[in-house]
Amino acid sequence: MENNKRKVGWAHCWIILLVVLAVFADLIANDRPLIACVNGELHFPVLSTYSDGFTDQPTHQKQIYNWYEQTTDWAVWPPVPYDGSSPDLRNANYRSPSEVQQTGTFARHLLGTDRLGRDVLASLIHGTRVALLVGFGSVLLSLLIGVPLGGAAGFFGNTGLRFSRASCWATAAGISLGLPYAIVCLLPYFDITNLSAQGFACVVAISVIGGGIYLLLNQFRKFRVDVSFPLDGIVLQILELFVNVPGAVFLIAVVAFIEDASLTTVIVVVGILGWTAVARFLRAEMLRVRSLPYIEAAYGGNISSWRILFVHALPNAIGPLLVIAGFMMGSAILLEAFLSFLGIGIPNDLPTWGSLLRRAREQPSAWWLAVFPGVMLTATILAILRIGERKG
Amino acid sequence: MYALRRLLYLPFSLVLLSLLCFVLSSYVPLDPVASSLPSADSRLSSQDPETYDRIYRRAATRLGYDKPPFYVSISNAALPDTLHRITRPTERKMLRALTLDAGNWEKVAEYYRVLKAVAFTDVNSTSSHDEQATLLARRLLLQDDPEVIRESIDGLRSRGRAHHLTTAHTDIYQNQQRQRLLWPVVRWHGTGNQYHRWLSNIFAGDFGISYLDQQPVIDKIKRAVPNTLLLNALALFIIFALSIPLGLYLARRVGTRRESWITGGLFILYGVPSFWVATLLATFFTTPAYGMDFFPSMGLGSVPVDASWWETVSVRGGHLILPVLCLSYPALAYVSRHLRQSGTQELSMPYVRTARMKGLSERKILWGHVFRNASFPLVTLFGNIIPGMLAGSVLIERIFNIPGMGQLLYVSAVGGDWPVIIMLVMINGLLTALGLLVADLTYAAIDPRVELNRPSLTQVNNR
Repeated sequence: MENNKRKVGWAHCWIILLVVLAVFADLIANDRPLIACVNGELHFPVLSTYSDGFTDQPTHQKQIYNWYEQTTDWAVWPPVPYDGSSPDLRNANYRSPSEVQQTGTFARHLLGTDRLGRDVLASLIHGTRVALLVGFGSVLLSLLIGVPLGGAAGFFGNTGLRFSRASCWATAAGISLGLPYAIVCLLPYFDITNLSAQGFACVVAISVIGGGIYLLLNQFRKFRVDVSFPLDGIVLQILELFVNVPGAVFLIAVVAFIEDASLTTVIVVVGILGWTAVARFLRAEMLRVRSLPYIEAAYGGNISSWRILFVHALPNAIGPLLVIAGFMMGSAILLEAFLSFLGIGIPNDLPTWGSLLRRAREQPSAWWLAVFPGVMLTATILAILRIGERKG
Repeated sequence: MYALRRLLYLPFSLVLLSLLCFVLSSYVPLDPVASSLPSADSRLSSQDPETYDRIYRRAATRLGYDKPPFYVSISNAALPDTLHRITRPTERKMLRALTLDAGNWEKVAEYYRVLKAVAFTDVNSTSSHDEQATLLARRLLLQDDPEVIRESIDGLRSRGRAHHLTTAHTDIYQNQQRQRLLWPVVRWHGTGNQYHRWLSNIFAGDFGISYLDQQPVIDKIKRAVPNTLLLNALALFIIFALSIPLGLYLARRVGTRRESWITGGLFILYGVPSFWVATLLATFFTTPAYGMDFFPSMGLGSVPVDASWWETVSVRGGHLILPVLCLSYPALAYVSRHLRQSGTQELSMPYVRTARMKGLSERKILWGHVFRNASFPLVTLFGNIIPGMLAGSVLIERIFNIPGMGQLLYVSAVGGDWPVIIMLVMINGLLTALGLLVADLTYAAIDPRVELNRPSLTQVNNR
């Protein structure tokens, strides 16, 4: 027992360290000082990169682009005074960590440099941010799609959900007519280019057309009858269709097809490919949960079934779901490394663990490029597996 | 019955996959027609645009790019049903943008006719402002922003040929009919469309021509498939040949110190990304940089034509050891750990005690009774492993430079060669589906308790 606790502690510490590295990457590794005093004037170069986004007014201070050349009265540099993407030509051509380096008064390149003199340690720290971004982002998207579909499918089954026939038909017609109409006619006519405005226009078109058809159909008695909605059947059919999609191969294909693929593309595709795992798992879990006595009791208490699903049933499945989400995050991080190792889809100048490994292939004798990113990747995967195993 | 239903799903999945790929392929920046033209013709595009246009249109008709993309199309009433006959993608985009801006296709078509006439006149033989108009018209054929088009036409002095252009352009906006945009039209194009043509070609065994080197896709794939199959078959063989004894061995010795060390080792092995290990192995053992150049470097090696079978095996084997090792070890660890778990569970069952009481030897109990019961999960694992291995072989083939499907996928993905990519995705989909199907059927065959008409819920973690 004691033993187990210690091991869990190791894995948790590593994940927390990664999150800290990812969030504060700019403060830990940067090519500009945190605080610097130039000619008696205080500068906050790292922070000012953030504030530039918020304020439009030009600062009265003159912009300094190369802080290494700048003579300062005094300066507080980040622990790693490099940012991983800007080259350091004096230390170019694969300097090993133990070799003589010409860094002057600055800290050594602790883990060596690559061909252009980019610092490996700083690349690792900024790569953590990319890895976690892809991991969290894609899993969040998978959960957003998978939890409602899988949860509702398992909880309601084929008979639990009942709507009037009119509303079933109206919803179907609203989506299948309203969405194309909005895309084909409304968007070009009103010249809507903003993404959220486009979404809003689509929703408006769907609800107007759906609502109209509902009012029309509701006039007939035949359409006011309640029918059960085969949600489980529909979700299962979709899952069966998705089973045969070869995930990673398809991902490469999609990323290759899209012209200027960015990190967002990768996150979206990985997230969409991952929803089936969530839905499948949650559906099975809900099949178990819905027959538990307290759910029956809740039905007896006259609580609406949607409320039971979201307030009582879903929280019961959160523990195991988190384990699945952890595993999925691990494989998303692996996929990101996989893509940037191949050099497909992830922008080339972005420092990531996978792109460091790719550079290692260009120069086999630069072992530090191959070893350190791999250690980060392995430790992350092992930590996730360890936490999942203890909980699951 | 269940198998039949699964088999029925298969074509649906593949059609869905092909549709997805087809839709995506229209976003490819590469122009398929232009890349099919010989380079001597493409050079014409700047010297003699008119001839180039004619050649281009003929090539597009031959390849079927003058057909509508799909069976049905939904658009608004302003767009004509013949827009797909404009074969150059940039021009189509330009006309589309103009029509959506002004709403009257008739005037836009007239403008397009004038624009082409101006653009395709010879530059050298005319006066300077006509020449300026011609050059502008050639640029405008590529410009799909109505705002920019208007600005550059306004900047043109209305004399000579430029006059025709400006009047045609102002004509568009004087007769605006934007209300036509609000009326939706559904058009049925019948079977004469690009998707139908593409699909029926596939059924006829014609997978298209690669954009990169103009070779038939089927030849490229035929050359790549055996290598990937060899690699994966060897890896699968190693996985099952090693993990079954290992898993059962561990199950029998649960709780001992040696068992916990091996289990821990397998855990780490499972977590270490195989492409990293492959990179390290390729770095340390196939290059002379560290003095450990034990294995032949990249590729599959070349076997002389008249080589004896032993020579062939040794050359290929030397090249295959590292890739197969890297491809098999994660799944090896995964399967052994599973088997250890299910074996431990089975060993505590009453029937094992009965067998012991009967006086059966441990070996007989393990292999005759426990193995069969503990191996059910193996079969589902088999189905789950296959997609992962196909994905893994992309990296492994890339790292060890083996000319298989993974390497082909990488090269085509980087070059935007979608006829190849599409076929590789479909083949991978087919293999994945077959793996899952075989796993399900075998499961039913060896475990009579399984009722396949209930959908399986076990495939949660298909890493």
